[in-house]
Amino acid sequence: MPDIVVCFKWVVDEAYIRRTSSGDLDFTSVDYKISEYDRNAIEAAVRLRDAYGGSVTAMTVSVPEATKGIKDALSRGPDNAVFIADPSFRDLESSQTAAILGGVIKSRMSCQLVICGEGSGDFYAQQVGPRLAEILGIPCATYVQKITIDGGQVIAERKAEDFVEVVAMPMPALVTVLPDIGTPRIPGVKDTLMASKKPVVTLGKGDLERIPEASLKTVGMKASRMERECEKFTVDTADIARFVGALQRKGVLR
Amino acid sequence: MPGVWVLAENRSQTLELLTIGRFMAGKIGTSLSVFLCQDRESAGDYMACGADEVLLLPEIAKDQSLDAYIPILSEEAGKADPDLFLIASTFRLKEIAARVATRLNTGLCSDCIKIYFNDRSGAVEMERLMYGGAAVQRVVCQSRPIMVTVPPRTFEPAGTESGRKGQIRSLKESPRSAGRVLERKRRERESKDIREAKVVVCVGRGVEKKEDIALARELAEVLRGEIAGTRPVTEELHWLPEELCIGLSGIQIKPELYVGIGVSGQIQHVTGFRDAKVICAVNKDANAPIFGVADMGIVGDLYDVVPKLINELKK
Ligand SMILES: Cc1cc2nc3c(=O)[nH]c(=O)nc-3n(C[C@H](O)[C@H](O)[C@H](O)COP(=O)(O)OP(=O)(O)OC[C@H]3O[C@@H](n4cnc5c(N)ncnc54)[C@H](O)[C@@H]3O)c2cc1C
Repeated sequence: MPDIVVCFKWVVDEAYIRRTSSGDLDFTSVDYKISEYDRNAIEAAVRLRDAYGGSVTAMTVSVPEATKGIKDALSRGPDNAVFIADPSFRDLESSQTAAILGGVIKSRMSCQLVICGEGSGDFYAQQVGPRLAEILGIPCATYVQKITIDGGQVIAERKAEDFVEVVAMPMPALVTVLPDIGTPRIPGVKDTLMASKKPVVTLGKGDLERIPEASLKTVGMKASRMERECEKFTVDTADIARFVGALQRKGVLR
Repeated sequence: MPGVWVLAENRSQTLELLTIGRFMAGKIGTSLSVFLCQDRESAGDYMACGADEVLLLPEIAKDQSLDAYIPILSEEAGKADPDLFLIASTFRLKEIAARVATRLNTGLCSDCIKIYFNDRSGAVEMERLMYGGAAVQRVVCQSRPIMVTVPPRTFEPAGTESGRKGQIRSLKESPRSAGRVLERKRRERESKDIREAKVVVCVGRGVEKKEDIALARELAEVLRGEIAGTRPVTEELHWLPEELCIGLSGIQIKPELYVGIGVSGQIQHVTGFRDAKVICAVNKDANAPIFGVADMGIVGDLYDVVPKLINELKK
């Protein structure tokens, strides 16, 4: 009956990022969301609890506005949440996020399994999981496609380039999961109502140990360019013929 | 002894990192060391390709994974204080890199696509993709060592230079790691490498069932191209082999023609074929983001459009 901590990140929805004419990123109309693959991580945690018992705590380090993310996460099945928030936590580096999560888990929680998503939708540095394992001093397997629990061990099937490595790790352990670990559920009205009744522990900067300095400094950021003709065609036979003609003129038919 | 260090899982990845390693070692004015775990005969080749030192990692037991190397790597780095540590971005080494960086209290630039040496500031500057590929971020690392993971195929393999010599040093045994490998299940590569293909037809989630991929396959045939898929179709549904996944976390291609069939065009996917010569798409949703990044798009149901397209192409 493992107690599971599942970590997620509240990220900008990259679909709303625009490019200004000078090549900068324009965040004026962005929305935020639980990072895509962290939803799979939450689903994996909840399914393990349903299969083996125990509890699931959802956890995030973010800005205070991410309280929406906590509600969203709880509507996906976890029993409770830990929300570590401060306005200065907007662009933390992986090493800092891992240090904060690790400090809180070590000093206030007991858990046998920590689950993280493979990588976040914004930075996709894929570091918080393994860094957190190192801080907690526990074994770790990344890019896991399947998890089972057998007595005091987690059996994880992790993806490598040419094979799948099946590893047994004594608990407590940490895994980062790939999306095929489980398709996230879509919360219903009842789930959302229940979520608002679940306990949330909110911690601020004052509750934390010293946060390490960031190591990486951003010295430039440019929006990628993608300028295309964007011509649209319909399903009319005539239009399809026009489409094929255009392909021919572009010299890509062989 | 400081230096530039290289760690990879196999020979081709190592040779690629030696290319950039040799360049950076020259710029920084230091030596180049490479770790070697398997095929020890390669030591001589690596020296011919620019390594001043080959560090032999001890063999690990069959039931141990690469994480067994974390203690030696961290200990050696703690002693030698390298300037730059280049690591191949493979699934397992990405984890090792992050854990070693944590032990060394340093930063790690993940999936770096370009590295520069800034002659004016003397800083190593690294570029990586952000926001699914919507942006390119340039970073410097303010702590030592500078750690970087580099995706395979980012650099050309290093060439040999005759008459180069180097040293070989064996590293000591590492303690066992807590995890135990129970089994390794081989994954056979089922398809050919589509990075060479001139025409790629990419199947997205708009295709209703696995059998319907035949339709896209037929289109690929008349276009004399290969078939590929988005991440949901390959890695999640497994309707196509994983190595055919195009995008940020899959492969990047640069064909003459890309045709997306039932592909929405999310940025992480588009990042995989941004540099294609011509981009086409078929999608029934006129507002799908793919139309914003395509040269030519057909708005319509793929089950209606693709057969018509095949007919017209056959004419
Ligand atoms: C960190 C990270 C990394 C990622 N890496 C990758 C990656 O490497 N590669 C990748 O592909 N994705 C990647 N993704 C996922 C990516 O964000 C998208 O979710 C994915 O590309 C969507 O795939 P899709 O277009 O097949 O499916 P969907 O987004 O579901 O789109 C299906 C499309 O089909 C259309 N459609 C439906 N029925 C029909 C019909 N009958 N006829 C015509 N059109 C139809 C719909 O209008 C829709 O636009 C990544 C995501 C994250 C967060």
